[in-house]
Amino acid sequence: MTDVQANHDWEGRYYHIDQILDAPGPRTDEGFMAGDGVKDFLRKQSKILVIGAGGLGCEILANLALTGFKDIHVIDMDTIDISNLNRQFLFRPKDVGKSKAIVAAEFIMNRVPGVKVTPYFGKIQDKDDEYYLQFNLVICGLDSVEARRWINATLVNLVDPENPESLKPLIDGGTEGFKGQARVILPTITSCYECSLDMLNKPTAFPICTIANTPRLPEHCIEWASVLEWPRVHGDKKMDTDNPDDITWLYTVAAGRAKEFKIEGVTWSLTQGVVKNIIPAIASTNAIIAASCCNEAFKIATSSAAYLNNYFMLIGIEGIYSYTFEHEKKSNCPVCGGESVSLSISREMTLEELIDLLTERQDIQIKNPSLSTPTKQLYLRAPPQLEEATRPNMFKKVSELVPDGGEVTVTAGTLPFSLSIDLSFT
Amino acid sequence: MNDSQPIETATTSIQMSSGAPDAKTRRYDRQLRLWAASGQAALESARILVIPATATTTSILKNLVLPGLGHFTLMDDKVVTGADAGNNFFLDGFKSIGKFRAQEVVNGLMEMNDGVEGVADVRNIREALEIDKGWLKTFDIVVAHNVDSVILDDLAALLWPDTHLVVVNSAGFLADFSIHYREHQVIESHVETSPSLRIDQAFPALLEYAMSLPLDTMDITDHAHIPYPVILVRALEEWRREREQVSGPSSGKGVPRTTAERKVFKERIRAMMRKFDEENFEEAEAQAFKCWTPTVIPSEVRELFNLHPSSASSSTTFSGLVSGLSQFSQNNPASPQYPSGLLPLTPSLPDMKSSTEEYVKLQKLFRAQSEKEKQVFKEYLSRAQVDVNDATIDQFLKNSHAIKVLKGREWKEINPGAKELLAGKLSTHTKEAATHLALAAIRKLRAKSVISSLEYVSSPNDTAMTDILDKDKLKDLLTAEAKSFLPPAVELPEAEWLVASGEVARAPSADLPTTAAFLGGLVAQEVIKMITKQYIPISAGNAASSTNDQLGICVVDLVETWTGIL
Repeated sequence: MTDVQANHDWEGRYYHIDQILDAPGPRTDEGFMAGDGVKDFLRKQSKILVIGAGGLGCEILANLALTGFKDIHVIDMDTIDISNLNRQFLFRPKDVGKSKAIVAAEFIMNRVPGVKVTPYFGKIQDKDDEYYLQFNLVICGLDSVEARRWINATLVNLVDPENPESLKPLIDGGTEGFKGQARVILPTITSCYECSLDMLNKPTAFPICTIANTPRLPEHCIEWASVLEWPRVHGDKKMDTDNPDDITWLYTVAAGRAKEFKIEGVTWSLTQGVVKNIIPAIASTNAIIAASCCNEAFKIATSSAAYLNNYFMLIGIEGIYSYTFEHEKKSNCPVCGGESVSLSISREMTLEELIDLLTERQDIQIKNPSLSTPTKQLYLRAPPQLEEATRPNMFKKVSELVPDGGEVTVTAGTLPFSLSIDLSFT
Repeated sequence: MNDSQPIETATTSIQMSSGAPDAKTRRYDRQLRLWAASGQAALESARILVIPATATTTSILKNLVLPGLGHFTLMDDKVVTGADAGNNFFLDGFKSIGKFRAQEVVNGLMEMNDGVEGVADVRNIREALEIDKGWLKTFDIVVAHNVDSVILDDLAALLWPDTHLVVVNSAGFLADFSIHYREHQVIESHVETSPSLRIDQAFPALLEYAMSLPLDTMDITDHAHIPYPVILVRALEEWRREREQVSGPSSGKGVPRTTAERKVFKERIRAMMRKFDEENFEEAEAQAFKCWTPTVIPSEVRELFNLHPSSASSSTTFSGLVSGLSQFSQNNPASPQYPSGLLPLTPSLPDMKSSTEEYVKLQKLFRAQSEKEKQVFKEYLSRAQVDVNDATIDQFLKNSHAIKVLKGREWKEINPGAKELLAGKLSTHTKEAATHLALAAIRKLRAKSVISSLEYVSSPNDTAMTDILDKDKLKDLLTAEAKSFLPPAVELPEAEWLVASGEVARAPSADLPTTAAFLGGLVAQEVIKMITKQYIPISAGNAASSTNDQLGICVVDLVETWTGIL
């Protein structure tokens, strides 16, 4: 048994996978090196990065380990919460409070012999280009748009046309209740995450006057408690939405307001859902989407079969509905496109209004941007001296600051790219 | 995004009175927001049998154990081979080799959730079919993966129709599965259509209220807070009265029909504004289509009235409720209070531009009318002696516009399917049908023992299956089987068959980890829908529909990555 334990590849271990790797199929590319060549690459040379060790991440790690990837890295900044246990199957009640990346990595290494999983308990932004260059493939199982935009832009920027190795396929999965999607992004070649930003659902936002004056729904009362009453009563003390006491306080305040306005339906659970922006999540949808992501990773890493081109969308509410299509690259994508975005605004619009517009536009969604033209700074968030110096511009008309047809560069601290806008006035 | 439950129904029954939820509710929070306490209770009392312990069935079970299934039995008489230890995450690597597969997998699964009861049964299913028929029928659902046709035929015949059978087949990147039930009723379908506000047939109290508002003289702030349904009802009624003056008395039910009429009607709403920025009137203009969208009973619901004919001898609660609904909609020609041809009014309102007072006032009007109509509905129920509690009635009425009754097919009807039907599917759903035929063909070959060596045998002297049976030979065998499923004159579609048969021949017995995980999610999702009676599982169509061309099979191709329904 010692021999087996030393190389871990006991007889028959890859009986199932090897039916694929030993011979090409009807949809296999000519470059496929059936047999030892491809097995050696998959099991001894390939290195894969998994971003997120949550609902999708746990599934992705288990699938990759069984498929034959042996050098896996995983990044996650979160710790385990009890509400993760209904689907994040590498975690147990005793693990609550520990790092997701570390616990998941240990679990996989204990369960699947010969697989090395290297965890990083922290943010993707902590890592530099050198780090990301070491991988053949990146799979994302994230619930954050911001993090996805960051890794997408980072991998697009990494592409050096002189060096084919610098192109790292990005496989991205996401779920919400019974719905999910998986996609393959070949940075600079296919449509990227930023190209499809306008496909996202618009987040529910309630107008502040509704919250303050004319509440109608239980959600309006909860927003009143968290947005207006919390800072009024607690001053600078930050609300901790993971602390049940804070939720209970919000619930009590919201329930009081609801009673006053004869509105029904404020509960503890709804309060928690609204303030934490909770998205329903189940094991089965995560399993489908993670499987799809890993299946694409396997096919790309081995060239054993054609891969998804490039978007798979699933809705499991009414039967099983899915739609596979090619999402098209956007020529004016700020990350992977060559052209700048054209924007036509009123001559009367102030810089502040323009910034609001950039924040709200579905295809742009840049929070807290700084703006400049090739010759001057329009508004900068930092450092404080420059913020102060440029603040008066906020109330000026953009047409007084930028010539018609002029170019404005938009940047934001959270995004590793800038957006170039050609402005015209009406 | 409307697939989440109103949270008050999701958690009240298992929430502590202090407000903060208990540990169990916290653990299941993210799924309770989808199927609520009622769905969870159904899941926790369900009993499932799974055969045998493959990577695919283990993945299916994983996704049922995590959300808290009541009981499962995993039946498998084999011991773990090196191949099993390599593709099943819930085995303990090579340490499991040589031990009972069912027992090892159950041990691995049970680690995840101690609220679930899991039992390993190390008998062969043939044995249970011979001596334990009654016990097999105690399960709610039986799931079988890559089980030979001969056993499946016996099992399916035994279970039909009370225990639902789920048949899953896979080979390499291809798979299909089906659920075998006679009829499946869903009250909480969670479909994304909202019930009608009956703008075109406003109930008397709403009409009266809308007409009573002194629009031109009332306080300007109040004017800007009239909810849009009130504005629409008022505008439509005024339009109708004007028309009667011009063209004589009519039924009082007319609506703007031509594009020109509708344009003028929208302008009328705009003209009702007293200030340029009254958002409630802008909303009314945007929602004006509700005036000419007739409130009718959705055709799918109407069809159900024929399926469950109104009679006093309604056998189940559900058919009693449907019968009551049918009578409600048909038997009220006399009273304008409860108009015929309508479903009972739903009390819930969407959000709209309005002040709190006006919104709550409108809500009260809707609730009062809804309550009256509910009482009429309940009279029909009690006349038919349908014994049902108020909570169920409320749930039913809230969803009455979206109730579903699905039909399924018996296993023998789709193994592989009627020849003419399959021929039709090959022309309308070519890829899906070709994939289904290829998987049915390999199952047949396995049952005929033409390829008996498909199972991995861990003897070093045994050559791999791929050497025993040359792939071209296997493709020919698959083609011969597939042709026997079709009418004599029908040809297999060349390109699609080349792909489907080629994929199966490449990996005839491969239970790939990713395909297994994909099916694990899909099948578990459908099982959860069946158990909770919420959301809509795959089916062979609506039970009341006369068309009968759907097989009710979900087909999966993980090379191009698509799913389809045959």
